[in-house]
Amino acid sequence: MTDAKPPASLPGLDGDKVAMKKFIITVLGEDRPGIIAAVTNVLHEQDYNIEEVSQTILQNQFSCFFVVAGSERQSNAQLTAVLENSTAGFELFFHVRELSPHVNLNRELVCEPYVVTTQGPDRKGLVAGITAVFAAYQVNVAQLRAVFRGGDEPLNNTMIYEVDIPLSVDLNELRRALSERAKELDLEISIQHRNIFEAMNRVL
Amino acid sequence: MFTHGEILSVLEMLKSEHLDLRTVTLGLNLLDCASDDLKRFQAKIYDRITRTAANLVAVCDQVGEKYGIPVVNKRISVSPIAVVAAPFGPEEMVAIAGTLDKAARAINVDFLGGFSALVEKGMARGDRALIEALPQALATTARVCASVNVATTRAGINMDAVLLMGRQIKAASELTAAKDGIGCAKLCVFANIPEDVPFMAGAYLGVSERDTVINVGVSGPGVVKKAIDRLLADNPEADLGRITESIKRTAYKVTRAGELIGREVAGILGVPFGVVDLSLAPTPNVGDSVGEIFQSLGLTSIGVPGSTVALAMLNDAVKKGGAFASSHVGGLSGAFIPVSEDLNISQAAENGFLCLEKLEAMTSVCSVGLDMVAVPGETSAETIAAIIADEMAIGVINKKTTAARIIPVPGKKAGERASFGGLLGESVIMPVNNAGADNPFIRRGGLIPAPIHSLTN
Repeated sequence: MTDAKPPASLPGLDGDKVAMKKFIITVLGEDRPGIIAAVTNVLHEQDYNIEEVSQTILQNQFSCFFVVAGSERQSNAQLTAVLENSTAGFELFFHVRELSPHVNLNRELVCEPYVVTTQGPDRKGLVAGITAVFAAYQVNVAQLRAVFRGGDEPLNNTMIYEVDIPLSVDLNELRRALSERAKELDLEISIQHRNIFEAMNRVL
Repeated sequence: MFTHGEILSVLEMLKSEHLDLRTVTLGLNLLDCASDDLKRFQAKIYDRITRTAANLVAVCDQVGEKYGIPVVNKRISVSPIAVVAAPFGPEEMVAIAGTLDKAARAINVDFLGGFSALVEKGMARGDRALIEALPQALATTARVCASVNVATTRAGINMDAVLLMGRQIKAASELTAAKDGIGCAKLCVFANIPEDVPFMAGAYLGVSERDTVINVGVSGPGVVKKAIDRLLADNPEADLGRITESIKRTAYKVTRAGELIGREVAGILGVPFGVVDLSLAPTPNVGDSVGEIFQSLGLTSIGVPGSTVALAMLNDAVKKGGAFASSHVGGLSGAFIPVSEDLNISQAAENGFLCLEKLEAMTSVCSVGLDMVAVPGETSAETIAAIIADEMAIGVINKKTTAARIIPVPGKKAGERASFGGLLGESVIMPVNNAGADNPFIRRGGLIPAPIHSLTN
């Protein structure tokens, strides 16, 4: 991965300027050492620049998203085929989708970052129940981590949402709506501005 | 992106370790309200307090909710009334206390501090009037807190003032006999009083302070206890160095939370931020106790041999963590050991583990002093003055703040219980050695000169 901004166009083999294409690549598979090395080696060989990566492991499953920029000579299908062929030993699943090269990273709404946490007994529909309230208030979920190990132990059944709440939203009303929904779902909920976690946990 | 542990540890502190912000105290300078016309003076101070602090409670609640950390108490500290109201006599001082009480009610703060005098070197007319007014002022108001500074390391100990305070404490207790002498729970006698204490009953706004300022007092004995418990559960062999490190880190977190909220409240109110007071302040609730920390450290109870060194270690670790967390630390900044306000400490007194003399020894290594100590009603004024003088000597010689908040409980004897209600808690009445005996030493009066190490220039 490089921090350098991708050039607006890349030189073609014949020296002509070639327009840039941007892809988002999803990689899934059973976790084992060497997956990232194998995938990024292919991207490097194909002359793609990695703009952003997010990777996590859920249980024993590797999952990773890359946003890459490179020559427009390659189609989604071609890139998928190259990735599959070059990493055959890992039995990975790839999905490649083209993105607009010009992404507006700014949301139109001015927001404040909050952390919403729920704890309570596991049951179906918890994530759907809480996120429906977010959706109704235009609250964007920036990060979600949820663990449901079952049983009644609250710490084993936790959802942590890092969300952006538009300044235009009435915070008291949102709190009321979330608290009511949490009560219906038998969850304890807390809604706190992100800065408190930063202040207490980080030495900045 | 935060880790699970970072988020859940904060939630745990809030849910089961009593993390809160104990007080946000708005300091109000009243010096420019001075007048020799009582009605005019009363109108000015009432107006100043109710106008400037009109939104204090609402803003504290709003910011507390935003961060999920409640601001338990919202309070006001004012310039020392003995200075601001110097032209007035004792009766007028009582009326002024009434105005302060009315203003505190109007803005819904639970306590207002600053019915105070600074008499370490001598008493001026206003000081004398205020001290004379104390018993009546404390008996006729509910929210006004008083303090009198009778000693400093630079000036020595004003023993005339000490004796007078012994008498006024007795008088205040008798005037509030129906409530176990609660008047005395709102009165602190100090050595080296800081000008920016946010905690009651000792809060007042020093004469060198600006027009308005927000000072905050953090809490967190429950958080510190749980941090020690967790460390020892994971590492049963952890030594005291490891434990102090854990206390230090915990104090850092608590202080950061306090400063964040305090600064935001100050910003919304348009008032400068002053200091964070790092004191570990208990409440009479299980799990919110300084006393329980001693048991987590392995002592049978606060008060047994080993308690003084444990307290010294705890106090120092709290200061180090807090000092790293905030550049503006002030007030008392240490562990409080108020007997009635801490369920565990009051039980230690009841079970015979903690006596007055051990409590006094412990105050030499922590803030603030003999705090919320109920003593038999028959304890003489001179004996109370002598206990105060001993406590002042610890402060003066060690260049630290000490205070005495002693409550002689009318009609009750050692071993009986006194109840003050709410945060002030309840306690067994502690026996006092030589309680009623003659004390010509204290009656001699005069000024005990400043110690040799005050000559630092």
